Amino acid sequence: MNIWVYVLRRLLYVVPILLGVCLIIFVLFNVVAGDPTHLLLGKHATARQMAELRHELGLDRPWFYQYFDLVKSAFTFDFGRSWSTKQTISTMISEGALPSLTLTIPGFVITTILSVSLSLLVSFYRGSFFDKSSVIFCVGLMSISSLAYILFGQWFFAYYMDWFEISGYDSGFPNFIPYIQLPVLIWVILSIGPDLRFYRTVMLDEVYQDYVRTARSKGLNEKVILFKHVLKNAMIPIVTYVVIQIPFLILGALLIESFFGIPGLGGITLNAINSSDFPVIRAMTILSAVAYILFSVLTDVLYTVVDPRVRLK
Amino acid sequence: MENAQAVTTNINKPREEKSKSLWRHAFETIMKDKMAVVSILIFLSYSAIALLTTFDLVAGDWAKEVGGSYTAPSAEHWFGTDIFGRSVMAKTLKGTQVAMSIGLFTALISGFIGVLLGAIAGFYGGKVDEVIVWFYTTFSSIPSIMLLVAITFILGKGLLAVYLALGFTSWVSLCRLIRGEVMRHKDREYVHAATAIGGNDFRKLFKHILPNVLHIVIINFSLQFQVAIKSEVILSYLGLGVQGRPSWGTMIDDAKLELARGVWWQLAAATLAMFVIVLSLNILGDALRDALDPKLKGK
Amino acid sequence: MATNDGLKRIVLMKKMISVLLSIALVLGLSSCTKKEVSNDKVLNLAVSAKIKGMDPIYANDLYSSNEVARVYEGLLEYHYLKRPYTLVPNLAESMPKVSEDGLNYTFKLKQGVTFHDDKAFPDSKGRELTAEDFVYSIKRLADPKLQALGWWLLDGKIKGLNEWRDKYADQPKVDYTEEVEGLKAVDRYTLQFKLAKPFPQFLYSLAMPFTFAVAKEVVEQYGKEFINHPVGTGPFTLSEFKQTNKIEYTKNPSFRKKVFPSESSPEFKHMLTDAGKTLPLVDKIIVNILVESQPRWLNFQKGRIDYIGIPKDNFDSAVIPGKGITDDLKAKGINLTVTPSLDVTYTAFNHDNKLFSNEKLRQAMSAAFDPVSSNKLFYNGTALPAQSVVPPGIAGHIEGYKNPFFGQNIELAKKLLAEAGFPEGKGLPEITYDCPSSTISRQIGEFFKQQMSKIGVRIKVVQNPWPELQKKIKNRTVMLYGIAWGADYPDAENFLQLLYGPNKSPGANGSGYNNEEFNQLYKTAAVLQDSPQRTALYEKMNRIVAEKVPWIFGVHRQSYVLFHSWVKNYINADFNAGQAQYLNIDVAAKKEASKKL
Repeated sequence: MNIWVYVLRRLLYVVPILLGVCLIIFVLFNVVAGDPTHLLLGKHATARQMAELRHELGLDRPWFYQYFDLVKSAFTFDFGRSWSTKQTISTMISEGALPSLTLTIPGFVITTILSVSLSLLVSFYRGSFFDKSSVIFCVGLMSISSLAYILFGQWFFAYYMDWFEISGYDSGFPNFIPYIQLPVLIWVILSIGPDLRFYRTVMLDEVYQDYVRTARSKGLNEKVILFKHVLKNAMIPIVTYVVIQIPFLILGALLIESFFGIPGLGGITLNAINSSDFPVIRAMTILSAVAYILFSVLTDVLYTVVDPRVRLK
Repeated sequence: MENAQAVTTNINKPREEKSKSLWRHAFETIMKDKMAVVSILIFLSYSAIALLTTFDLVAGDWAKEVGGSYTAPSAEHWFGTDIFGRSVMAKTLKGTQVAMSIGLFTALISGFIGVLLGAIAGFYGGKVDEVIVWFYTTFSSIPSIMLLVAITFILGKGLLAVYLALGFTSWVSLCRLIRGEVMRHKDREYVHAATAIGGNDFRKLFKHILPNVLHIVIINFSLQFQVAIKSEVILSYLGLGVQGRPSWGTMIDDAKLELARGVWWQLAAATLAMFVIVLSLNILGDALRDALDPKLKGK
Repeated sequence: MATNDGLKRIVLMKKMISVLLSIALVLGLSSCTKKEVSNDKVLNLAVSAKIKGMDPIYANDLYSSNEVARVYEGLLEYHYLKRPYTLVPNLAESMPKVSEDGLNYTFKLKQGVTFHDDKAFPDSKGRELTAEDFVYSIKRLADPKLQALGWWLLDGKIKGLNEWRDKYADQPKVDYTEEVEGLKAVDRYTLQFKLAKPFPQFLYSLAMPFTFAVAKEVVEQYGKEFINHPVGTGPFTLSEFKQTNKIEYTKNPSFRKKVFPSESSPEFKHMLTDAGKTLPLVDKIIVNILVESQPRWLNFQKGRIDYIGIPKDNFDSAVIPGKGITDDLKAKGINLTVTPSLDVTYTAFNHDNKLFSNEKLRQAMSAAFDPVSSNKLFYNGTALPAQSVVPPGIAGHIEGYKNPFFGQNIELAKKLLAEAGFPEGKGLPEITYDCPSSTISRQIGEFFKQQMSKIGVRIKVVQNPWPELQKKIKNRTVMLYGIAWGADYPDAENFLQLLYGPNKSPGANGSGYNNEEFNQLYKTAAVLQDSPQRTALYEKMNRIVAEKVPWIFGVHRQSYVLFHSWVKNYINADFNAGQAQYLNIDVAAKKEASKKL
């Protein structure tokens, strides 16, 4: 099968998924959210004002129109305005994406480099004390609640030891760097456990393959086998895993952003949840769903390019 | 105890020679792994504490004032007291009940949905499979935090809502795995043999195929269990968590006001309690996977 | 072979470890530098909630209205150094001429006041403020298409304004040129209001940000984005409002000559050193939005924030260690100011619920509640137990009055509960208590539950996001809910309206309390000017609600604020719109003090 036909078919499959996502969001949020008027009009609202507002927001129209609007917004990214801040949601998203990325990309890159190299190392020493203890150490790191890390880290490292900024953010390179150091560190600590475990499994899968045994029997030394063969062959799952995580980076980090005052999408989402700002919650959900779907298509396509056998199935 | 367990596994799968040896082998492997054994013991003792607190045999008086507001840890109160002068130790113990029940029910709910949908999709294939795959792909495209918020909004507050919300948002990965495994198994000889002697679909699926994918369910169970315990903290932070009784999540949430005034013991106690059980479950999960997953058995 | 292999492994491991270490170094400890204290007079503030834009007509929460008031101004303001609160002219030249019947108010405006420069004006030069601007701004508040959040303030108050609003509700376009009888610019600098009925609190509404002056050109230039382009006449300018966590204002270079007051109440005499100085006193304001209390508190201790307090509308905020100020803080030169707030916390019954028409039950629950412990736990013992609804400091509060059902009395509570028909709580269903979702609100709920259990009343605490709680109250699906009210203006009417029957939800009376006697008194008092007669009515109403227990009263909070030694003229006020222009920063003192932090 031609690769382009495959890509096209994959893209076509996005449509029913997207419709489904919109349907779930619509059912969950439009049915539950119901009436935004109390939120929008404050404590002195009258019944008449509420009716006027409902009309203005189009909430008195039949449900399929409202559903259609939701689907449309998934393509146009025009989500209307926030109920609580009255800002255009697309502007909020475009302004919040960059601060989020300045936190998540460094965190993600460092975690990936650290955990891939560490996983190579532990699969080299598989079964040894070093292997076991580093796995347990990383698993231990992920056994503590993120909230505990944030609370303690901010109090101890930033305030008590004075090593980092307590909170805040300045836009523009390199102004933001001092503010993201501690958040990035916490991000790395939180995500290194699961990553290391995943990569270790990938590496071990390869280590037990026949070709490794063959190579070893030919007298190649472990280092060459590890870097030349194992790492090369493990690249497919590694790249897949990396690509599929990218959409989550855009969303930012809910708690970290809120505690460190980083004006990113995570903080916006958290604020929206706390103030029942459903258009924003809806928009963030659609945004991340669209990103997730597109990136999973991308992963599949990458996968077939690298490994043509997959396409034939 | 050890014998009893070995016997039950034998009774459950008298016909599957292959599977029996897998389970016995796995059992022996785990018993040889000291870390895994310790983890099992820890898990059992947490379960015991949870049961005891349920019947108020332990920490039944957690709501009682035992000292002043925010007294530091002492010989009498190992983890000090909270804002109302209640013993943090008692609250932590009582919190075990919430944590273990959240872990258990979430893992059960997500296990049930995952196995059911995964098995149906894998077994019947065709249109049924397409619909289920569409459903879970759609579902997994939505960030789980958003689903959690929406579900707790619909169901209101309370423990039941937390179980359901966490259960409903964590079944997809298991469903995928089960679907794949069932697909692999349904064309095996033994299933064909069952068809030949006139077994119906239900029988084939539950008697013959499911026992062969059970190890995936078990591994997943231990992982879901600990993820749920951790998620409870986030729910509490958002004000969507357990109401009216102590949980580790609400204790950590309290700490965000307390830490700045130097009250660290509530955070420490809840974090420590959580750390131990989550770590044990992780280690246990790894050990189970190493022991049960045939792919890694070669070593 | 084996040894060789082992050696190689060690070398490999060393290499890897050094890679890991260098990553850690790049990430971490690279910046341990302290920030230099700037030579400019910069005010660093922290607020605990997102700002909802900079349009005066939407500024219905404390945080947004404070931000709006840095840029915009109104006809009147509260005298900065006088207590009790006294209105003084701001954009008005003098206090208005009021007609005999109390229905006509005529204002003369200050001349030569200009708006900030903005591209909406010809040549981008801010033009002079005229009486028409106020006519326009107040019509905006009434505009049916804009859904202004401050409309309640003038609803039914100004002659012809409601009719104007109704007329355009169903029409596609609202005509601002149509004259409204009660709202006229007589000439360039003369503004005349005609009220529909006596409204003694009218002048207070002109000191609230809802009625501050905006320029028509700017509103039309930016349309819906006006919310992000504040252009007022005030002491500070903000070129564009963005949804970040930091808002930076700069001193308005063309601000009119306004000086620091030279009279004051005795307690603020020491601030008169700045008397006669041109306002604003600082060059720049940086507002940091920090939702979580821990970073707010830690930043304050490091001197990155000038003062920190407990906002009256928000439980979720920093709690200060110990009762007064600790030696540690004293050593850092930090000062504490404690001022009573015009507010009341309470637990309201939903009076639509049949259960709570049982007066004895309400009294029993009130008597079971321990305000002293509550005060100690949540307000560090500094709040004042609320005997009734009106807080001290305004007319209507009864000094020394003791509510018979308030203050813990378990014996009495048990007796009342038995009389209510529920001895030892038998026969009572579990009662839900709804509260906001913040941590402190939850703790207050848990405390309430604990108190009620002493007489056998079972409570279930339910947390809700703020809008969700509002919705539940309006839909009447609550049983009990814990909440607080802060004054909009210093008049007991603002508190008593919360219990006036016809204000029933969706109006301000969320509990739905309806007492004929109270309603009659309220109606009479509402049209009276401040007088001993009105005060007597207020006191009578205050007494009725104390004894009938429509709510379980909590406390009148005192807000206490910590500020650093370099902050001058700080006063904690209930109505602090525009405060920033009076604050001063002692840069030399800040440099000195920062060394110790």
